[in-house]
Amino acid sequence: MDGLGLTALTLTGNGSVVGLDLLLMVSFLTVVVTLGGLNLRITAWLATASYGVQLYLLWGLSPALLDGAVAESVYRFNVLGHSMGWRYDALSAFFALITLIAALAAGVYASGGWGRGFQKAGGAPGLVHLALAANLFAMLVLLGSADFLSLFIGWEMVSWASFVMMVLARPADRDGALKYITYATAGAMALLAALVVINHHAGGLGYAAFAAAVPGLSATTLALLVFLVGVAFGIKMAVLPFHLWQARAYAETPGPGTAFLGAISARMGLYALAVVLVQLIGLTRVADLNVFGEVLDARDLIAWVAVFTIILPTYTALKQNDARYLLAWHGIGQGGYMLLGLVTGTAVGSAGGLLHVFNYAMCQAVLLLAVFSVVHRTGTADLNRLGGLVARMPLSFLALLFGIIGLAGLPPMNGFVSKWMVYVTLVREGEPLLFIGTVVGTLGTILSVFKLIHNMFLGSLRLEHESVSEAPWTMVLPMMVLSGIILATGIMPGLVLDWVAAAQATLGLPMVQYELGGPEGLDMLWVGAALLYGIGVGALLFMLGGRSHRVNPLDNYAGGHFLTAANRYHYSDNFYAGLMHLIGGWYRHTFARLESGLVAFVNWLGAGAHGFFRSMPPLLAMVVVAALVAAWWAEGGVGR
Amino acid sequence: MSASAIMNADMGVMGHAMALPVVLPLLAAFLLPTLNRIFRPMARIAGPAVLAGCLVVLLHIGSHWDGQPFSVALGGFAPPLGINFYVDGMSLLFATLVVIMGLLLWPSIHTGDDSDGIREHALTLLLIGASVGLALSGDLFNMYVFYELVSVASFGLVAVRGTGAGYVAGFRYLMISGLGSVLALTGVALIYTHTGTLNIAHLGLLTGKLDSAIGLTAFALIALGLGVKAELFPVNTWVPEVYSTAPRRITALLAGVISKVAVLAIIRVLILAFPGEEARQLLLALGVLGIIFGELAAYRARDMARMLAWSSIGQLGLVFVAFSLPGDVGVFAGIAIALHHLVIKPGLFLLAEHWGGALTALEGEARQGAGSLWAGLVFVLFALSLVGVPPLPGFWAKLSLAQGLVAQESAWHLFALLVFLGATVVEANYLFTVAVRMFKPASKPRPPRHGVLNLATSSALAGVLVVGTLAIAPLGDYIQTLAGQSADAAGYVTTVASDAVEERAR
Repeated sequence: MDGLGLTALTLTGNGSVVGLDLLLMVSFLTVVVTLGGLNLRITAWLATASYGVQLYLLWGLSPALLDGAVAESVYRFNVLGHSMGWRYDALSAFFALITLIAALAAGVYASGGWGRGFQKAGGAPGLVHLALAANLFAMLVLLGSADFLSLFIGWEMVSWASFVMMVLARPADRDGALKYITYATAGAMALLAALVVINHHAGGLGYAAFAAAVPGLSATTLALLVFLVGVAFGIKMAVLPFHLWQARAYAETPGPGTAFLGAISARMGLYALAVVLVQLIGLTRVADLNVFGEVLDARDLIAWVAVFTIILPTYTALKQNDARYLLAWHGIGQGGYMLLGLVTGTAVGSAGGLLHVFNYAMCQAVLLLAVFSVVHRTGTADLNRLGGLVARMPLSFLALLFGIIGLAGLPPMNGFVSKWMVYVTLVREGEPLLFIGTVVGTLGTILSVFKLIHNMFLGSLRLEHESVSEAPWTMVLPMMVLSGIILATGIMPGLVLDWVAAAQATLGLPMVQYELGGPEGLDMLWVGAALLYGIGVGALLFMLGGRSHRVNPLDNYAGGHFLTAANRYHYSDNFYAGLMHLIGGWYRHTFARLESGLVAFVNWLGAGAHGFFRSMPPLLAMVVVAALVAAWWAEGGVGR
Repeated sequence: MSASAIMNADMGVMGHAMALPVVLPLLAAFLLPTLNRIFRPMARIAGPAVLAGCLVVLLHIGSHWDGQPFSVALGGFAPPLGINFYVDGMSLLFATLVVIMGLLLWPSIHTGDDSDGIREHALTLLLIGASVGLALSGDLFNMYVFYELVSVASFGLVAVRGTGAGYVAGFRYLMISGLGSVLALTGVALIYTHTGTLNIAHLGLLTGKLDSAIGLTAFALIALGLGVKAELFPVNTWVPEVYSTAPRRITALLAGVISKVAVLAIIRVLILAFPGEEARQLLLALGVLGIIFGELAAYRARDMARMLAWSSIGQLGLVFVAFSLPGDVGVFAGIAIALHHLVIKPGLFLLAEHWGGALTALEGEARQGAGSLWAGLVFVLFALSLVGVPPLPGFWAKLSLAQGLVAQESAWHLFALLVFLGATVVEANYLFTVAVRMFKPASKPRPPRHGVLNLATSSALAGVLVVGTLAIAPLGDYIQTLAGQSADAAGYVTTVASDAVEERAR
């Protein structure tokens, strides 16, 4: 392991089960508990409490892991000449932390009123808890993989656990899950191909063996490997052109499941890519691979893929009229920032990419939870059928507000810090085109999250929502906590950068220099204070200004006219009509067409295969005749 | 007596006992109709009783076997003049599996007409006895004879229920199989005219004579001929019709076990008599075509039985691709995939008995009470393993094949890998489209329909799969031993020659 710059310090004590094994065992037992036929309420809270326990266990492990130690599992298996095991380092711990926070939030959210509502609507909340526990366990196992075999096994566990979660969607909306599993199998097969190529060249599937073999690999082999893992992990991350499965699959999943998957599931691809591409192969080696002569190397290609992944799905999100789909499409786009930051390979850039994993996960979780709170109360996520809910669901509004500020990357929320780090790196590294790409993406994000909050919470309340009340406390609590995290880690990014820097060290990247207020060159404590000051001044003016009077939320004001309840006014349909007039023609659905073309091609081939089996006898007779002639000829050829 | 002499004496007894699992079912098959006239209740249990007896014999031999392959000269005539059985880990395993699966998939008599049922019993016994013989045969002639017996028995079984569709499918099967027999016989004849022997061990010494266009033609003819049962491309067009019309237990037996025994026969010939590159390339090419056509056709299938039949063709394509790899790597992967398929496909076919009709009509099929839910879950387990999801055994089988293909470092093998991985994606798509549909809420309630016997058999096979998952490491070691033995052509020749010398000395 020395070759990887890791200190192989075992945290397992004298062979007793502590640390990592305990964490994984508790996680596994949670799956068993959710499988068993206990009372739903008890199961739900037991599972949720277990996520808390797991978070506590990880917290206990983390000081040593952040110091560069490695927690190894005592379990090792030898199968077919391969040895596989599990271990946690700072990178695993960082991703596990995010996963556990997301699971805990989703668990609490699903355990109370949401579960009862879901059950009333014909759903099975018990299965949601099972799927959540299974997803968490699968991810924790994946994050602990210590070789390519355990990586593949963890990878498949994560894929199929996500599938189980997605397939809990309403019966009519399960096609998304099916599309996902087809994409995921393609990804798994690409990974399997990478595995056997690695095994062939490195003589084994251990990380250390592969890292040692990398310098001796030819450029062709390395390019093949980068391509294969790029496809495999890229499908999970939904980078272009493999992004078409994600929005539908995530959006149609039951609420807390969407929030959990949306927050972290796709990041497993980034984790695996970081391990293989950054830690084992090394970014300099990737940058040596020329894709189109001297013009574009493999690292540039990945960066450009990341930028297009930011732009296109974000603008697809802009056109969505379903809050769930809008956010799910954003999830794809935000993944681009992480990948872009990571492949810059600089201290600040890669830290920005990794930090964005955390920041985005918190924002996306809170946003989706807020949206599903609205769905829970109103029964719809259709942005054309909502509005004015701010007075009815103020806490959900607040959570959504915090979330969109973070997602759009505006101060003082955490999303600003990570995006700032990526922007600064692109400018410093002399990549103006990439920088412009990210800014275009961010513009799209700001436009679409405004649409989101406006159409749900602002404007005029709809008549049918007059009696709507705030979501139950079990749903509000996780939203408030996550909002708090978004604000706190926005003003004090140093809290998370502790973990990020340790993860960078694990990956062999230069470590970011930072303080509690943020990385070098940015002090969020000051930014936060300035904003607080501004808000204070605003509040003062508000207080000093004349008497305010409450208005009926059904009343509104538009274009200099007071609109009363008698004049229904809700500007939501065709929200960005003007903008769409300008850019609408650019939506060409190219990838969707490519995908359906591929499906049609496979169908065509399938029809051909059917035809073959139907019309075989004449062909068979020909084969027979040909074989006999060949035999006769061979006889003659030998001269008898 | 020295220790080795005692061992030799034991071997002699064991050797002769080795003939029992072939002879007893064949004998019972011919006596069964007569017995049915004399004493019906006994006739009904005679078949399973004979098979249980054979199983005891095989297990006894297996448990007393020292792990060294041996050859049995039948009737005391030593090869190459006499005919012999060759017993190594692989043939013993497959002989035992044929008997076990025969017992597990024993046809139940559920019609009022007893004589039909007894006919089915007799034909099943014939099928099993001949298959065991095929697995053990040490010479081409015997192989051909047993193969013909297998064919005859399976024609009867396919049409035994007397349905119109069964007759049509059976006729198609008869035509293709008949052509196959002609091809195989031509191949055998070609080999005999060029080498003067049909003993496989003897052929192992004469590989030089077969390393020519004519030798390759002979191999191609034998492979295509025996390949009819092994679902080899392109002589597998009978498969979808027959598997979708024959009684499910018969289908399960044909798809699960008999196809593998036919593969085994082809592989024996390949390893011993055709060590050259061309014969392997032929199998590789046919295997790849089998995967492509099978999986694509399965993707477009409209009913469950045909979908499984085409999937079976695809899986056997994988088996052929695996066996086309030189050395014990290929044999390992081939045995692993074959064994995996042998457990899974019968289970799936039994479940499919009650999932007839269009695939689109299966909506809510797993939501009709506990039995159907269980059946649905077993289906999902089988499907996961077929796709190769770790840690199920299907994954390890596919991993070993992928490793073997990459190790060849040739463009053709990489192409085969690409096809195999692509086919897996297609496979996952059609299997889980069905699975998702089955777990949707039913639009209209249906009566629970899964037969207890079928469901129990499928569950038992699912249990085997789970045990295999847990015991994957020792299972891998075991298959490695089998593969090492089977891939050792020189060992085969030496074993038969030295046993023949001993036989003469006696």
